[in-house]
Amino acid sequence: MSSTLIKCFNLAKTVGNATVKSFLAAPKQPLQACSAAALQTPHVQMSMQQMHTSPVRRDLMEFFDDKKNWSENEVKVGRAWRTEELRIKSNKELHQLWFVLLKERNMLLTMEHECNDKMEIFPSPERIDKVKISMENLETVVRERNKAYHLLETGETGERPQKAVKNAFGLQVSYKSCEHALPPFMNLKWIKSRNIGFGGRAVNRFLLKYREKLYNVKRKAKNRSRNEVMMILRRNPNFDLDVLRRQFPDVNVDKLCNEDKIRGHYVPKVGV
Amino acid sequence: MSTRWYPIYQRGNPQLRVFLPNFWMKLIRPTEEQPPNVVTFSVSMEMTKYDVRSYLEKIYKLPVVDVRTRIAMGETKKDQTYGYITKKDDVKLAYVTLPREESFVFPDFFSEKAEKQEKEEKALDESKAGFRRFLDRNKKRPGTPGWFSI
Repeated sequence: MSSTLIKCFNLAKTVGNATVKSFLAAPKQPLQACSAAALQTPHVQMSMQQMHTSPVRRDLMEFFDDKKNWSENEVKVGRAWRTEELRIKSNKELHQLWFVLLKERNMLLTMEHECNDKMEIFPSPERIDKVKISMENLETVVRERNKAYHLLETGETGERPQKAVKNAFGLQVSYKSCEHALPPFMNLKWIKSRNIGFGGRAVNRFLLKYREKLYNVKRKAKNRSRNEVMMILRRNPNFDLDVLRRQFPDVNVDKLCNEDKIRGHYVPKVGV
Repeated sequence: MSTRWYPIYQRGNPQLRVFLPNFWMKLIRPTEEQPPNVVTFSVSMEMTKYDVRSYLEKIYKLPVVDVRTRIAMGETKKDQTYGYITKKDDVKLAYVTLPREESFVFPDFFSEKAEKQEKEEKALDESKAGFRRFLDRNKKRPGTPGWFSI
């Protein structure tokens, strides 16, 4: 659970009336009403004094766009919220903004669905992406705070524990552990169902071939770069070796200099 | 992520709280005729009836009487030429009953669109005609800037 947000869970009730307007308070950009709430408004200093509740229409029309945008071909909105803007917001503000974004996304999805149904063009579909980016950024910020809090209090990140395990094909995957009602030794169903490790001829043969494939890719890449170096040196006998060493760090250029392949089809200058 | 990683449900308190719900809900036009107080939603597949109810009550502050959900299977189509089969995603639909006195009619967004388009076309035609007039006038004096004469 996001422990940093524990303090503000009471807010869930007040979020509805909590100031869509306050997020709207962008002085410079008097753009679209609801969209403006969810997007942009970068430089607004929001303090508790400035916040004010306003009567919000609370009915199903919240699922639809503003009426003046209904038959528009383009709806102009601002940009998405950036992480650095969200970092300076309090938990409470972030929590409110999340619900503003959520409602905005629902509205956009509804409008998009209806437009698709009616074979019309959905105006400014990038709005959905902007809301999505904003929500991702917001989650990143909450996660950062969460991590910091957990590290401070418990010394651990508080992230979901993961470990590398091998799956049925013998390949490594990361396993995200989760809570169970029963401890592992009591969970007979799980004990019976799980595959401890991997085994069998088929898996071993698969692994052998799989690793061979991986090795071949590596080997071929190495040979390719080796040949390339040799061809460069054959065509350009006075090529700068340092450049080659920098360009092909995995090739031993000095050793290649003695190779027969490097000699070009010309009479070598002797005694010059 | 820890905000998306919930402990398992256990009876008693403290109850599990969802701080940043990421469910979505779409209000869609009903395909069949429905009573005026029933609204159709397309919702996230993971949502339960209780989720739908609390979502609408807590976030949208709507009075909800009843919620019924079903999963509508996506359309399966066979390709005409090659015969392979494609299937659209399943969707979860929620039929939400509001109180008896409420009534909701799905609005028509595109009723004014034709008018608006006509107006725009008219304006475009006018500006085209204006430009043509300008060209005609400047036929015998090419290269004259637009501000040169009335």
